[in-house]
Amino acid sequence: MKRYDLVVVGAGPSGLSAAIEAAGRGMHVIVFDENEKPGGQLFKQIHKFFGSKEHKARVRGFRIGQELLEEAGRTGVEVCLRATVIGLYQDHELVVRIGDAIEHVKGDTIIIATGASENMVTFEGWTLPGVIGAGAAQTLMNLHGVLPGKRVLMLGSGNVGLVVSYQLMQCGCEVAAVADAAPHIGGYGVHAAKIARCGVPFYLSHTIKKAEGTDHVTGVEIAQVDEHFQFIPGTEKHFDVDTICIAVGLSPMSQLLKMAGARMADDPKKGGQVPVCGRFGATSLPGVFTAGDVAGIEEASSAMIEGRMAGAAAAAYLGFMNEDACEKREKQLTDSLSELRQGMFAPQNKGKQLTVTDEGIPLSKTLLTKGYVSDEEIEAFPGFTHRVGVHPVIECTQNIPCNPCQDVCPKNCISIGDQITALPKVAGGAECVGCGMCVASCSGQAIFLVDEDKGDGTAEVTIPYEFLPLPAQGTVGTALSRSGQPLCRASVVQIRSGKAFDKTNLLTMSVPKEFAMRARFFRADKEAAK
Amino acid sequence: MSEASEKQKAMKLAQEAAASRVNDRSRDIGEFVPAPDDDIIVCRCEEVTKGEIRKAVHDGMWTVTEVRRYLRTGMGLCQGQTCGRLVKGIIARELGISPALLEPATSRVPMRPLEMHIFANEEKEE
Amino acid sequence: MSERIAEHPILGKIEKGRTVKFTFDGKELEGCEGEPIAAALKVNGVMVHRYTKKTHQPRGIFCAIGRCTDCVMVVDGVPNIRTCITPLREGMNVQTQYGVSPLTFEEQAEKYSR
Repeated sequence: MKRYDLVVVGAGPSGLSAAIEAAGRGMHVIVFDENEKPGGQLFKQIHKFFGSKEHKARVRGFRIGQELLEEAGRTGVEVCLRATVIGLYQDHELVVRIGDAIEHVKGDTIIIATGASENMVTFEGWTLPGVIGAGAAQTLMNLHGVLPGKRVLMLGSGNVGLVVSYQLMQCGCEVAAVADAAPHIGGYGVHAAKIARCGVPFYLSHTIKKAEGTDHVTGVEIAQVDEHFQFIPGTEKHFDVDTICIAVGLSPMSQLLKMAGARMADDPKKGGQVPVCGRFGATSLPGVFTAGDVAGIEEASSAMIEGRMAGAAAAAYLGFMNEDACEKREKQLTDSLSELRQGMFAPQNKGKQLTVTDEGIPLSKTLLTKGYVSDEEIEAFPGFTHRVGVHPVIECTQNIPCNPCQDVCPKNCISIGDQITALPKVAGGAECVGCGMCVASCSGQAIFLVDEDKGDGTAEVTIPYEFLPLPAQGTVGTALSRSGQPLCRASVVQIRSGKAFDKTNLLTMSVPKEFAMRARFFRADKEAAK
Repeated sequence: MSEASEKQKAMKLAQEAAASRVNDRSRDIGEFVPAPDDDIIVCRCEEVTKGEIRKAVHDGMWTVTEVRRYLRTGMGLCQGQTCGRLVKGIIARELGISPALLEPATSRVPMRPLEMHIFANEEKEE
Repeated sequence: MSERIAEHPILGKIEKGRTVKFTFDGKELEGCEGEPIAAALKVNGVMVHRYTKKTHQPRGIFCAIGRCTDCVMVVDGVPNIRTCITPLREGMNVQTQYGVSPLTFEEQAEKYSR
């Protein structure tokens, strides 16, 4: 039987981070993963991450995956792929299926980082081909380059539902609507706003009644539900779609720990059955640790820190790190993690319906139900400023842990302060040069550059643009509002695609000046697009 | 005793009281009442419907494991990966308790579908 | 019918293996070597991977990561192969799965009634 200082199960963000941390302390580490490729779900995450610099904010998920793999290679982590851990027994023994054989492996410490699986809901026709998990859509389009469908209905308005809807549009699918049985959008407002301004309608307090079709999906019927989640007759709406995507949450995949006899608890706030953990991912089984979604559903950024914590804890457990060094390292990681666990979407706020921001500004109600901030509401936020000349307009209206906009501005126009969840403010007196770094760096795509009056009755609005085809300079079309409604004629005056923008192009459009503070998306005329 | 541990103790007691409801077989959970969505498939692998699961509860199957043995929910190829949570929810609703109080199905080897010839093929020690 | 993403605004051109031929229910189709069989079928417009044993309902891709086992088919004569995680190879013989057989339910009834 092969023996390792540490065996990690799962090569996703938390598992790889754990392995790197432990290997860096001199431990002999192997990571098993059942997939063809390592990285877990990171390589399907093509959007820019939130957080601060140390959380790799404004870096796209798949690039973080590449960095982790390189680091794993450098630190001597052995990653064993197509290796399915099928059992975890007493005395730290793992049974692994590799190819057509069964191997037994011993880990003096073990870190379970098996992640999560998608939840599902049932409705008439939910077994029809064409009804897929949101993860399946991501896998098909972002890993295999195959369109999941032509026209999609998304069920679920959490971050997964919102992000995948946006990604579907990026690869050329049409998103017919986003529906959610809950009365409020569950994910970040900025993610919702990104798709609302492209014209995607939101149906809150709505869920799927049936999927239509005989051999595969040809349509879907949704209907409104009351506060007891019962359908309200007469509220049915039909959409012609070929694909229905389900994004209704995740459950920890904690079966290995349960099998091994770890103390488990059913915690709805953590997404289901999770191991009862002490400090730094220590389970009730000595020497067995856990990190990432398996211990409670969160997201990749916090999973990576939890992985580091478990890795350091495993190192200390076997004496590869003295108590002092471990304490110091864990303190550092705890601080970093608590920074991410702040704001209105923090785990402790799960299930709460907040009404004002930390600054005391009323939260946008239209954002929570329709996916965009209304023209009246937006004026109240500190990033929404009127100036002479080009200046940033920041439509960031919820307290989320993210601050790249503050870091990237070369002129210090934008300030968030020490509290990472504070709403960004546009500093008075500072001079914007229109470089656009803030626009491209905002993971929520909530920053625009606006020159409200060019002196000839027009205004210029610069928006982040991540779609193909990229309109050329001079292209004419329609400017859309935050709600995706056509506002006015617009023409493209400039397209900027610098390397520093990392594929977020900056599209500057000219619009009549009365629309300067309302025009937030551009749609080229059909003829011009050809 | 600190306030936090006091709270924990109270929570534990409440849980135990509720858990006894799970096992209190003398409790009357009422008759099986047919519902319009009874023919929706819940366990996709073994093709078990919501109605069958609800009926099973009224036949006396009050735990995930009992329903599993009775109807084969979660016993197919995927081993309950998709339906585990759904089945638990249906049983809990029928019993009038929170799903969190129901013990999930037993986890055992192998965690993924596996052909018997592979399961028996132990790698030789070098 | 589904298509391949020619160019992606973030990922650029997605690297794929060389084009290979395989058969689906006797018809010759093309796909990219190394991609999951399910992806190749999707590009060719195949939605139904199997019909279930009890109720003969159609099933296709559902989770796409090898967990749900809904996309299983008969591959090179072996049933219950998870097509979403099995890489496509030149000359593979992929068949719709009826219950656990490549024979249609009518063919099965006829074969086993004799």
